[in-house]
Amino acid sequence: MTKTIKHTFFYAHKPEAVWEYLTKPELMAQWLMPSDFKAELGHDFKFIIKPMPAFNFDGIIYCKVLELVPNKRLVYTWKGGPEPGTLTLDSTVEWTLVAKDKGTELLLEHKGFATDEAMLQIFSVMDAGWKQNIAKIDTLLKPATV
Amino acid sequence: MTPMRADAFQAISDVNRRQILNLLTRNSYTINSLAENFEMSRPAVSKHIKILYGAGFISIEDIGRERYCILNQDGFKELQGWINFFDKFWETKLKKLENLLDQKAKNENKK
Repeated sequence: MTKTIKHTFFYAHKPEAVWEYLTKPELMAQWLMPSDFKAELGHDFKFIIKPMPAFNFDGIIYCKVLELVPNKRLVYTWKGGPEPGTLTLDSTVEWTLVAKDKGTELLLEHKGFATDEAMLQIFSVMDAGWKQNIAKIDTLLKPATV
Repeated sequence: MTPMRADAFQAISDVNRRQILNLLTRNSYTINSLAENFEMSRPAVSKHIKILYGAGFISIEDIGRERYCILNQDGFKELQGWINFFDKFWETKLKKLENLLDQKAKNENKK
């Protein structure tokens, strides 16, 4: 199962063309979402998606531009939570554009789901060893049920 | 089952709490035996456990006189749920961008 969010797409278009779609609000709205984005370092903006109560998420994504290198790289924060003022998800979205074969390789990384090395290890134990753990717990619980 | 009120991300944002989860992947511990692995006071460890419990990462079982902390899959499932959601989200969006750019190039070629 995916633990890190990473997508690479090749577009047969120059980085300048792809960059426009990443940074012009009227173009962003056509494929991503409407927003009050501005291509300015430190600019705060928002996206609004469907609220997901099951995930304790009200659907508002708070962003701030952290890195801006025209036609090459764009990084913004991607925060959210159950209500305004309570931000529990603290992640970043990183876009990297590389000119390649008359087109652009666009790399997207969405980081910050607490999936660092240590956490990934715990995850893999949970994935692989869950049945084993259940067995262990069963043994452990036995004295209590006697 | 453990209600999922507290948030999974908040719960694992703390390095001590991640360490507790790490220890629990190897064994089940009582709160006291967990505390022995940390410089913190027992009440401090207890507080971290409460947060992990609230977010569904651990469950607590009474065995005899002792309370054992055991890893619980719910918290991990919630994290995985988020990751899966955004993974799909971006894939869909990037496909849409591809169509859009292709369409634009076609239109330009016609001119």
